[in-house]
Amino acid sequence: MSDSTPREGLDRRRFLQVLGVTGAGAAVVSGCSTQKVEKLIPYLVQSEDQVPGLSTWYASTCTECSAGCGLHVRTREGRAIKLEGNPEHPVNAGKLCAHGQSALQGLYNPDRLTGPKARQADGSFKDITWDDALALLVQKLQGAGGKLAVINGANRGTFSDLLAAWTAAQGGKVVAYQPFSAEPIRQASQQVFGLNEVPVFDFAKAKYIVSFGADFLDGAWVSPVEAQLGFAEAHGFRNGEMAKHVSFSPRMGLTGMNADEWLAPRPGSEAAIVLAMANVLLAERSGNPADANALRGALAAHTPEKAQEASGINAEVIKRVAREFASASPSLAVAGGIPAQHRGAAELCAAVHLLNYIAGNVGTTVRYGADQDAGGDGYAALLALVDGFGGGATSVAIVHEANPAYAMPKKADFAGKFAKVPFKVSTSLYLDETAALCDLLLPNLHALERWDDARSRKGVSNLLQPVMEPVFPGMATGDLLLKTAQKLGGPLAQFSAPSYEAHLKAQWLKAVGSEDAWRAALAKGGVYGEAPAAPVKLAAGAASAVAFSAPAFDGPEGEDAFWLMPSPSVLGDGRFANRPWMLELPDPVTRITWHAWVEIHPDTAKEMNVREGEILRLESPHGTIEAPAYVFPGIHPRVVSVPMGFGHTSYGRFATGSGVNVLDLVDGAAAGSFLPYFGTRVKVIKTMNWKKVAKTEGTTRQLGRGIVNWLTLDQAKRGLTPLEALAEEGHGEHEVNTEREVEAIKGFDEAQREKRKYGAYANENPMWGMVIDLGRCTGCSACVTACYAENNIPFVGESEVLRGREMSWMRIERYWEGGEEGEPLQARVLPMLCQHCDNAPCEPVCPVYAAYHTPDGLNGQVYNRCVGTRYCGNNCPYKVRYFNWLAYNQKAFPAPLNLQLNPDVTVRARGVMEKCTFCVQRIRGAQHQARLEDRKLRDGDVVTACAQACPSGAITFGDMTDPEAQVTKAGADSRGYHVLDLLNVRPAVTYLAKVVHRTEA
Amino acid sequence: MATTLDAHAAHGAHDPTVPTQTHHEVTRDVVNTLGTADKGYFLLLAGAVGLFLVGAFTFVMLLKDGLGLAGYTPPVFWSVYITTFVFWVGIGHAGTLISAILFLFRSPWRTAVYRATEAMTVFAVMTAGLFPIIHIGRQWFFYWLLPYPNQRWLWPNFKSPLVWDVFAISTYLTVSTTFLCVGLVPDIAAARDMVTGWRKKVYGFFSLGWKGTHHQWRHYSRAYLYLAALATPLVLSVHSVVSWDFAMSIIPGWHGTIFAPYFVAGAIYSGVGMVFTILIPLRKAFKLEHMITEYHFDNLAKLTLLTGCILFYAYGMEYFIGWYSNNTFEQAAFWNRLFGPMWWGGWTMVICNAFLSQLLWFRKIRTNLTALFVISIFINIGMWFERYVIINSLTSDFLPYAWSQMTPTWADWGILAGSFGWFSMWFLLFARTFPVVAIQEIKEQIPMPRLRKGGH
Repeated sequence: MSDSTPREGLDRRRFLQVLGVTGAGAAVVSGCSTQKVEKLIPYLVQSEDQVPGLSTWYASTCTECSAGCGLHVRTREGRAIKLEGNPEHPVNAGKLCAHGQSALQGLYNPDRLTGPKARQADGSFKDITWDDALALLVQKLQGAGGKLAVINGANRGTFSDLLAAWTAAQGGKVVAYQPFSAEPIRQASQQVFGLNEVPVFDFAKAKYIVSFGADFLDGAWVSPVEAQLGFAEAHGFRNGEMAKHVSFSPRMGLTGMNADEWLAPRPGSEAAIVLAMANVLLAERSGNPADANALRGALAAHTPEKAQEASGINAEVIKRVAREFASASPSLAVAGGIPAQHRGAAELCAAVHLLNYIAGNVGTTVRYGADQDAGGDGYAALLALVDGFGGGATSVAIVHEANPAYAMPKKADFAGKFAKVPFKVSTSLYLDETAALCDLLLPNLHALERWDDARSRKGVSNLLQPVMEPVFPGMATGDLLLKTAQKLGGPLAQFSAPSYEAHLKAQWLKAVGSEDAWRAALAKGGVYGEAPAAPVKLAAGAASAVAFSAPAFDGPEGEDAFWLMPSPSVLGDGRFANRPWMLELPDPVTRITWHAWVEIHPDTAKEMNVREGEILRLESPHGTIEAPAYVFPGIHPRVVSVPMGFGHTSYGRFATGSGVNVLDLVDGAAAGSFLPYFGTRVKVIKTMNWKKVAKTEGTTRQLGRGIVNWLTLDQAKRGLTPLEALAEEGHGEHEVNTEREVEAIKGFDEAQREKRKYGAYANENPMWGMVIDLGRCTGCSACVTACYAENNIPFVGESEVLRGREMSWMRIERYWEGGEEGEPLQARVLPMLCQHCDNAPCEPVCPVYAAYHTPDGLNGQVYNRCVGTRYCGNNCPYKVRYFNWLAYNQKAFPAPLNLQLNPDVTVRARGVMEKCTFCVQRIRGAQHQARLEDRKLRDGDVVTACAQACPSGAITFGDMTDPEAQVTKAGADSRGYHVLDLLNVRPAVTYLAKVVHRTEA
Repeated sequence: MATTLDAHAAHGAHDPTVPTQTHHEVTRDVVNTLGTADKGYFLLLAGAVGLFLVGAFTFVMLLKDGLGLAGYTPPVFWSVYITTFVFWVGIGHAGTLISAILFLFRSPWRTAVYRATEAMTVFAVMTAGLFPIIHIGRQWFFYWLLPYPNQRWLWPNFKSPLVWDVFAISTYLTVSTTFLCVGLVPDIAAARDMVTGWRKKVYGFFSLGWKGTHHQWRHYSRAYLYLAALATPLVLSVHSVVSWDFAMSIIPGWHGTIFAPYFVAGAIYSGVGMVFTILIPLRKAFKLEHMITEYHFDNLAKLTLLTGCILFYAYGMEYFIGWYSNNTFEQAAFWNRLFGPMWWGGWTMVICNAFLSQLLWFRKIRTNLTALFVISIFINIGMWFERYVIINSLTSDFLPYAWSQMTPTWADWGILAGSFGWFSMWFLLFARTFPVVAIQEIKEQIPMPRLRKGGH
């Protein structure tokens, strides 16, 4: 609590919520009304669910993307401090990605609008009261006479239904729009199967996965956590088995990094490969669905050789992949991500649907009937709506949870068309680009502050409930709709619910039946069921899917033209750009923070004499941007890639001015129902200007140091250890210690054990340890953000990242393997955190005992005792100690971000060394709880924040002295090894070597 | 032999260890250096104080904003400050070697130079002693490194080399200061007898009532011998301890058993370098050419050559062990030192220290003061870089992902400049206030007047 003293500008009531001063007094949190409470009274009658010092958990739902993951929100003294996955939820099974974790920084964002605002004659915004704002809105709606247009970015659910009905009752039109909406998949489903829906992909069951530009691990594809969880299940090594993953994409994203084989086809040519594979499957495999056999003739023309011609991928490789794909059942082919969202994306998805159908995957790994929410009506619908703004056709426009002014390419000229609407309303919580164009700002309440629901898909309906008082007094847009309806009357009188909460409950009561069921759903987080599978047959149009023509790319052609791939980065479609956790989270692929970059292949860079950091100007017919070069081996030599989500002109202090918006280069016209993000070619021009790239990686190669070890599937099956595998591969003897040294180490070991017989160490203590399965870890970095959230880690900003001073207690190390001399490029990732060495090098060198060993095997760090000699940091071979150089704690939590701070964890001052504690606050919390319940600690009582979040389930934590503990069993795996084992520091973190399918060339 | 000597009789080979002046001339010449200073002196002093103020300002900023003002780039958690710390500790060692060890070995050539070098030692250690405070994250808690009794029974960690360091430096400062002060007593008394005004009072105080009685001389020479014996092991131990700040770690490039002798040799080498840098201009400014002669410099240069050769060997051995260890990390560390991103630093160190010192095999160079002065500047630079380069082993240790290079900032240079200012300020003040040449020891070496030919 040391840093959460009240700041100016923070009103007292909110501070009171946080007040839990030694139990002497605390604030009354009066339900969830928006009335001002100005009284300070102690808990005379303690609220039922508030115990100062103890956490209260609420079930809710994540609304950061359309997947709808279940949440457990941890609150303390009336404020949300941590988001965790809801273990019962069928989508995320207790896991949560980095975006979901960062919702708290949306809630406590210092740039949130504090109340309604109206535009003045001089163009500036003025604060107004909610009453005035409502009156103004009602007046304008009355005058609109049905000329109402609504852009809705919210997920499917009661609110969206209400908004649609409310708009329809006035004669207006709603378009639901989210930029990453998997529209090509939906369009292809319609074409191939006659089903207008996005299917549910079950990665977990698949034994062979082929992805065609589907960035299902990059956090922007359909249902990211579910996909990752399933992928880890399938692709993780267990019982001698694991799926193989082959990725065809011009850029190696996180998905390609987790492929056993990554192949870079010519952009736009993926469909040719898919059809060739389908051809091979149909020709060589029996037992294909009967209606598919009818396609044999049409497919026969699509030979692997032809595909080679189109894509540049060797025909033999295509045949091999096709045969492997055919022999594994069930398998899964996926497409429909941003990296393949060119003008042929729908054709590609259609071809993939066919391939899955032929392979018999539809119904097993590809399930129809549930209608996965992928967010919206598509780009074409939005474009049509926006194009219709002019000429008095629209009098009032309302934008809800969408930011088209940023998310639509500049070429589409949203701002210009939007300006033609006489009265524009935004319900955004932030002054984003769209809100900045509006006339009336009616900020919604944050998802953690309001009643709402969201449908992940049929059968999975999720509830949201307010977990705390609103940070800023606001009005939920649902309530706003009802209030305006009551004032407008007429056809709107049907919306008579006294509040949105009542409306929501009424809707749910219809579905669940009883008050008890409603309460149960609320406690659980929603209603989870399985929608019946829809029967799937090839539609009449399926045959038309058997066609490949190279999609068109606009922009320059010729020698100096490059395909431009906008790639989804940590910032997603830009909505996460004002959250310091997201800006400082290194991009999982390039490890760059805080600014945009241009990825360019090393060969191309050499040809053009470009080095990392040289600012490149990209010119397309639609615009120009400049960003520093990042030389990246995982990209097609003729493709350049720029991350999306940067370059905001209005959003908040962190987002505005960082990087450039790649969409400025992209054509704004729709292709089919979607926006072809990857549809433009650009000229790349050297500027001879430089900008140091703020990346967190030092050297990209392991230099033979055996940090991230891996085994081939065969070796893993035979139970080889990583050292044995290395020896088998002939990578030297790898004998690091001579016999004499081994003896010495043994003797040392015994001496260490001897010391365990004294003082506090003599008691029976647990021995905390962790096992990280590199076979499952994808490098998604959810653990990193979870660690920031749990442990009050300050962000440091771009200039400090440039000095390598980021404080991420947990980091993902990414190394490249191969990629030279014709060897395939492969990525290796490893989460690196304090290894809590038993024989820790940091401990003896500390002159003041700030670094010391606890009896339960933790490598403790006493912040109060640390004087900051930093010797421990030098002597740590894992470089996991982080020093607070410049009072980052004072800058990183501008009010109200400080309300997110975890009261169980010290906010470290400057001049002090800090590091991973194995979430010691959780260990002690669980121990206290066990003591209160008069029992021993059980396995699973303590879950660290990183292990809790990990959407791959790669991290196991527990007491290694307990032979029955999961961590002990997992650590006994033959794949287990310690990083830098030769140093004999006896780390408590065991890594399980990655297992790869070896591709015989 | 003595009969051949005369200040004006330069014929034939004379014993260079024997001064050419009379007792009176010695006192006069030395006390003359204490007279009213000229403009040049004040300019120098102003420069030194100015630099010191730059350092003081930087330190205030560090206190205010944090160590992040300096160029630290993890994994480089130590950098210019520790480099400069080791540099100054090293400088000190030549002084003690010359004043204490050579005294015990009865090397007559030390007499003319030892006072200045001993003063240099004290001020260098005073400078170095500031760094353990400057470089820590919470400077206001520096005293937690000291074993002071406290209610909570918290003691420093005696396993930590940094604690050894605190002891080594504080011991060194105490002993060398005492040694300097005691050695000064007869000289100050001599000066006391020749001056008037406030100086007389000051000298009167510092001469501790020295009358030059037989009794006093007896105690004095015993005490001096005893202190010399006490200071002698410190020459070896202090820098050994400092070297263990590095050698006790596990960082490749730091973790070497050779470090203690290697650092001691380096310390003496750098110290003698600094002696040249100080004495050559000082001798000229104070017109002491006839007291501090080529002969002295020749001997100092031989000492430099000796330690330079030890360094050369140590460098070679470091690289050899790095290669011979067959340890990836060691090999990479030493490869990086010469061919990595910091190659220029590595080569600066090797050329300035190992190669340049080999020039001193030539007597012509050893006796050419201009050449020596130039070489000494390179020695200072080279030895600073040696420590900088060694500390920069941190840039690339075990995990390649964590590697990073660092670039110093104004805050690094500010403290470095400040340390030179602080050192120079004290030295300049000392040089004008106290005899920089040991009057009494020189006199001891002058033959009795009655032996002189053609006396008065």
